[in-house]
Amino acid sequence: MTQLKAKAPLGKVIVITSGKGGVGKTTSAAAIAAALAKRGHKTVVIDFDVGLRNLDMIMGCERRVVFDFINVIQGEARLKQALIHDKRVETLWILPTSQTRDKDALTEEGVEKVLNELKEQFDYIICDSPAGIERGAQLAMYFADEAVVVTNPEVSSVRDSDRVLGLLASKTKRAEEEGTEVEAHVLLTRHDQRRIDAGEMMTVEDVLEILAVPLLGVIPESTAILRASNVGMPVVLDEPSAASRSYEAAVSRLLGEEVDPRAEREKKPGLFSRLFGASA
Amino acid sequence: MEKDDTGIRSDTGSKWRETFHVRGRFLTAIAIRIESERPDANFFVALDEKIKTNANLLIGAPIVLDLEAVPGFVDGTLLQNLIDAIRSRGLLLFGVQNASAEQRTVAEKAGLIPVLIGRDAPTHKVRAEASGPMRSVKRLENKVIRRHIRSGQMVVAERGDLTIIGSVASGAEVVASGNIHIYGTLRGRAIAGADGDENARIFCNKLEAELLAVAGLFKTSETIDPDLRSRNVQVFLEDETLRIERFL
Ligand SMILES: Nc1ncnc2c1ncn2[C@@H]1O[C@H](COP(=O)(O)OP(=O)(O)O)[C@@H](O)[C@H]1O
Ligand SMILES: [Mg+2]
Repeated sequence: MTQLKAKAPLGKVIVITSGKGGVGKTTSAAAIAAALAKRGHKTVVIDFDVGLRNLDMIMGCERRVVFDFINVIQGEARLKQALIHDKRVETLWILPTSQTRDKDALTEEGVEKVLNELKEQFDYIICDSPAGIERGAQLAMYFADEAVVVTNPEVSSVRDSDRVLGLLASKTKRAEEEGTEVEAHVLLTRHDQRRIDAGEMMTVEDVLEILAVPLLGVIPESTAILRASNVGMPVVLDEPSAASRSYEAAVSRLLGEEVDPRAEREKKPGLFSRLFGASA
Repeated sequence: MEKDDTGIRSDTGSKWRETFHVRGRFLTAIAIRIESERPDANFFVALDEKIKTNANLLIGAPIVLDLEAVPGFVDGTLLQNLIDAIRSRGLLLFGVQNASAEQRTVAEKAGLIPVLIGRDAPTHKVRAEASGPMRSVKRLENKVIRRHIRSGQMVVAERGDLTIIGSVASGAEVVASGNIHIYGTLRGRAIAGADGDENARIFCNKLEAELLAVAGLFKTSETIDPDLRSRNVQVFLEDETLRIERFL
């Protein structure tokens, strides 16, 4: 292995998961990975959504894909050949997936081998999970140290997230072999205060009461996200927006930093400080 | 192999009372867990061995196939052969559990019912009890769970009370042969007196339940008085009726 850092990183594996599709997992995986990398952490983001391949488009590297995660698992390419180095952030890498293979190409041994190799080189390994609670999603979470459960403030998404939290507590290597739990956080995305005020969506408090895990952040519904993803840019690398500030704050919390809730955009003062339990 | 408790429930809605009376019943099913994507001769040798040594457990019991370990087992012909082979041994195979969407389709084509159940009940104790000399002595085994029960999870206290220090999510199920205590919000299903104990009760800090049942009589969220929602309540049987009462 190449000598990278003196501290010999044993990277942390973080899965971005949800149960439900279309809630913002890939968007969040890209934003979180880019924000971590911007702060100097050597970060790789892996696409576990075999057959759909969205991550490389959101990351703007779809035309640079030659070998992928599946090729590496099947021994058809070396990890080094499949990793794509981001052109904007020196410490950011992408491991794309295959659009043509099917989900069965992911094996537990294969995933473990690749993750172990990545752990020796990276500080953070961000796994973008497919939707659902079946094999693909379970493999994406199986080796995780931490989990970010992406949830929209609506009943079906919250229920699926709750289901995923149950799997995280039982169907991971940590739970099965070490008897410890994967540390889980909820990231509330597509938060739309107007729709909440109109009673069409759940409040942040309601979501947290049901899921009962710490809140990592609240990402507003935002056109900045659509604009950024259309040009293949993780939102935190695009020009500053409410959404990028929220992702930055979420990543600070992920790193265990105290975040002043006032730094985040919010119409109702006081709401965030209550939710994040900051000292008054 | 493992044993599961699954509930078959129904209503005693007052509208129907004159015409017929339906009682919920719980049945104990045996799960046969398939470990190999291609069950071969070894599998059947092992199965025959199990039948020989555990005849009282297997013969006559409702049986489900557990497909959790074999996500790649999706071939309709293979499944049909397996079903035929199991049934030819006199086993009453009726369903599948832990099946993927694809497996469900194949199983339904073969006439099996997909069942959604948890996997909490220990077999060895049951087996020992069923065949041992102490079979009439039922030792109480109360259960205390110190976590939230998430959607899709099921917790069973087969021979006693079940206490949950946490909430029970929508889509989760808690079952006890005795009482159920929930120090949290009950959003899912709670089934007390699952073996028919009419004195069993359910207690919860906050009622948002999808289903409440005691000894087979039940109410769903639609038939629970809206005034009792979000309240601290107990649920019990009185005069063949399920009653929900607030603690003041
Ligand atoms: N905060 C947001 N505001 C507006 N649109 C969003 C937001 N987050 C995600 N989206 C959009 O929602 C869609 C689904 O997002 P994606 O990240 O692909 O979800 P998933 O990976 O969970 O399926 C995409 O079109 C994305 O641009
Ligand atoms: Mg995605």
